[in-house]
Amino acid sequence: MNEDRLNQLARRLGANAAERLDVEATARQVVQRLREQPARRGGIWIQRTLVRIAATVVILVGGAVAVSRLAPGRRPGVSPVHAHLVADDLRDLSAEELRDVLTSFDEIVASDSVVVPESGTDLNELDTQQLRALLRSPEG
Amino acid sequence: MANPQPRTETSSDAALIAAWRAGDEQAAAELVGRHARALARFLAGAGAPEADLDDLVQEALIRAFRSVDRFRGQCQFRSWLLTIGGNVLKDFGRRAGRRKVMPLDEAVRDTAGDPHDHAEAREAEALLAAGLQQLSRLQREVFLLRAQQGLEYDEIAAALATTSGAARVHYHHAVRRLKEIVRDE
Repeated sequence: MNEDRLNQLARRLGANAAERLDVEATARQVVQRLREQPARRGGIWIQRTLVRIAATVVILVGGAVAVSRLAPGRRPGVSPVHAHLVADDLRDLSAEELRDVLTSFDEIVASDSVVVPESGTDLNELDTQQLRALLRSPEG
Repeated sequence: MANPQPRTETSSDAALIAAWRAGDEQAAAELVGRHARALARFLAGAGAPEADLDDLVQEALIRAFRSVDRFRGQCQFRSWLLTIGGNVLKDFGRRAGRRKVMPLDEAVRDTAGDPHDHAEAREAEALLAAGLQQLSRLQREVFLLRAQQGLEYDEIAAALATTSGAARVHYHHAVRRLKEIVRDE
């Protein structure tokens, strides 16, 4: 079979199937679907992208914390740099907000990396100063 | 939606795209009318099962209209649409878990003329269709864009974001491979 014959066959390939396509019905359905499901706008795309970026940052920070805990010769706990960055912003938080931060933090980091008060005091019983001290404890 | 603007049969694709961007649904319908069959032929040639052809054509058209902002006239609208069709078919194949080949004995049937000649033609076309499935996706699409759709290499290159020389090489590799496959059968 030479190239001309291949091309001739290629031109016929799918021709009958295409002829059976109801073009008008296709046009109606395409327009209808476009109307019902309008294109995603840039704003939504940007929002989703930002959420993905935020999720990536959380995963990276969590990963870094985990690696710092597992690395030999290093003190178990949160990387001082990361902890310092977090602690710098703690001054403006209320006791309730600090509790939320701590709860979220605990979900990422295993509890043995945080200095828990010896008495096993419930977090809800701590005041703002105590919570702040607790969150700063990984800095050493 | 905006009121449709007056158009003639000779309105360019670019004018219809601009009208669609401005909210003219009729412009989209007209573009579908112009290109749906070529898209269907391309998809069928690339291995789309006939039972799914209508859905695949619609999906490719919808993707094209939704991402039309990315079309900057780098190639013809039809060429761009066909490459989107290729992506839709790839996704379909991934979902299906296997690439299906269209039942060509049904697809290429022509009831006029000598039955013996038609049987031979059907066999040859079935061989070609099977051979196309053994090519890489790029070779298959370049071959179809060139041999089935009659596009120039420059146009193929623009549609596939490659060079004209690379498109030519892919086409010739595809032809050589298809000849080998047909000869071995």
